[in-house]
Amino acid sequence: MTISTRSIVVAGILIAISSVLALTGLGYFPVPNVTSEATVMQVPAIIGGILEGPVVGVIVGMVFGLNALLRFSGLPIFAGQPAWMPFVVLFLPRLLIGVTAWLTYVGLKRTNEIFALGAAAVVGTLTNTVVVIGLGILFGILPVAIIPTVLPQAAFESVVAAVLTIAVVAAWKSIDRGKGGSSV
Amino acid sequence: MSADFELLRNVTIGQYIPAESPVHHMDPRAKLLATLFVGLAIASTRSIAASLILLGVLMLVTRVAQLDISYVLRGLLPGLGALLFIFAFQFLFQGPNVPCTELFFKWRFIQISPCLIYILVLGAVRVVAFLFLVSLLTLTTTASHLTHASEMLLTPFQRIGLPAHEMALANMIALRFIPTLADELDRIMKAQASRGADIGERRWWRPDKMVRERMPLFVPLFVNSLRRAEELVVAMEARAYIGGKGRTKFVTFTSRVSDWVVVALTALLWIAAMRLPWAAWENALFGIHWQP
Repeated sequence: MTISTRSIVVAGILIAISSVLALTGLGYFPVPNVTSEATVMQVPAIIGGILEGPVVGVIVGMVFGLNALLRFSGLPIFAGQPAWMPFVVLFLPRLLIGVTAWLTYVGLKRTNEIFALGAAAVVGTLTNTVVVIGLGILFGILPVAIIPTVLPQAAFESVVAAVLTIAVVAAWKSIDRGKGGSSV
Repeated sequence: MSADFELLRNVTIGQYIPAESPVHHMDPRAKLLATLFVGLAIASTRSIAASLILLGVLMLVTRVAQLDISYVLRGLLPGLGALLFIFAFQFLFQGPNVPCTELFFKWRFIQISPCLIYILVLGAVRVVAFLFLVSLLTLTTTASHLTHASEMLLTPFQRIGLPAHEMALANMIALRFIPTLADELDRIMKAQASRGADIGERRWWRPDKMVRERMPLFVPLFVNSLRRAEELVVAMEARAYIGGKGRTKFVTFTSRVSDWVVVALTALLWIAAMRLPWAAWENALFGIHWQP
């Protein structure tokens, strides 16, 4: 598999952003439900998928997955479960975020690019929420009753991710065409 | 107010502390594998006793590595609020999902049983044990050594299409840019605060306000970072960078037999955590029989 220099560098920069958001806690927002935190940590993986394709999306998603694994694998819901359970529930779904975001963007960008960006962000975010919660329910570590409490969080995360993705990618593409503004 | 800008003050994970200890001198590849086995041991065990023994071993190794235990524990601070919230939530609402023959308290869906308390204590010990494990690895190994070691360990998987070299290079770029982006974030926060943004307002009960507060930080952070990426791509391509096959390595590691003995011992620790009858021992010694 050959990956272009541009893709490697963009992946590296997005991993750095992911790490800074994780280390500072700015990537997480406290919410009153079982997950306790809504997140924008999926956004670097979504932007990676949109700008450079699924491989970069997967590589950047790995950082989100590892961070989730470190933050949440010690939680009581995983006590008494097999050792692979946190890996499957917390890590693997994060690899899919960039892939589904890329597929959505590629499929819709001919209709309207801004709409495609928003849809890719929403699909990437919902991939994260639906697959993590779905696997949790499937393996019996989360009750089905959790779904109503997670729905408002999923909507909140989707809207934030869509706004952020559109703002960043649209701004980036216009900068790319030489229409720069203030740097901060 | 100035403390609001010092976001990385309590982050201990990822900060290398140089010292002359056997842990620091261990081959990073062996250290990574040993960390993996101890992590599997912590994740595998369903016993508080076994988890406490693993935590004790990690604390002992922390002392051998000449690290301050209180410094490692400071790493809990950034996520402590969220952790306490999750534990309180589990304490109140997880009861019906934890089958138990005994019950301390029951009111509607709130069921407090000794089995639930056992699981919560086990979870708390695991959180602290994971913190010590990850801190031990990152505090005693430089980030570049960790990246090179992970690349070397992943190289055999290149045959099935895993881009090990590219992933390692992306990680190296990330490690190089994390301090730069942290500075950039600090600069953006100060710039937005000087324009009247409510940076540092503690309104955790209003996530929507927090988003409005953070959005003016996120957008310039992403866009400025992508601009830096563009400059780096041009610089690398101008120097005719070609990755992948045939590249020689500037960093090489030499390992001693003792490094691999440690790896074997941690593998045994994992097997012991999984296979030994910890529940029976806890029952015989302390009369505890609430294991999940």
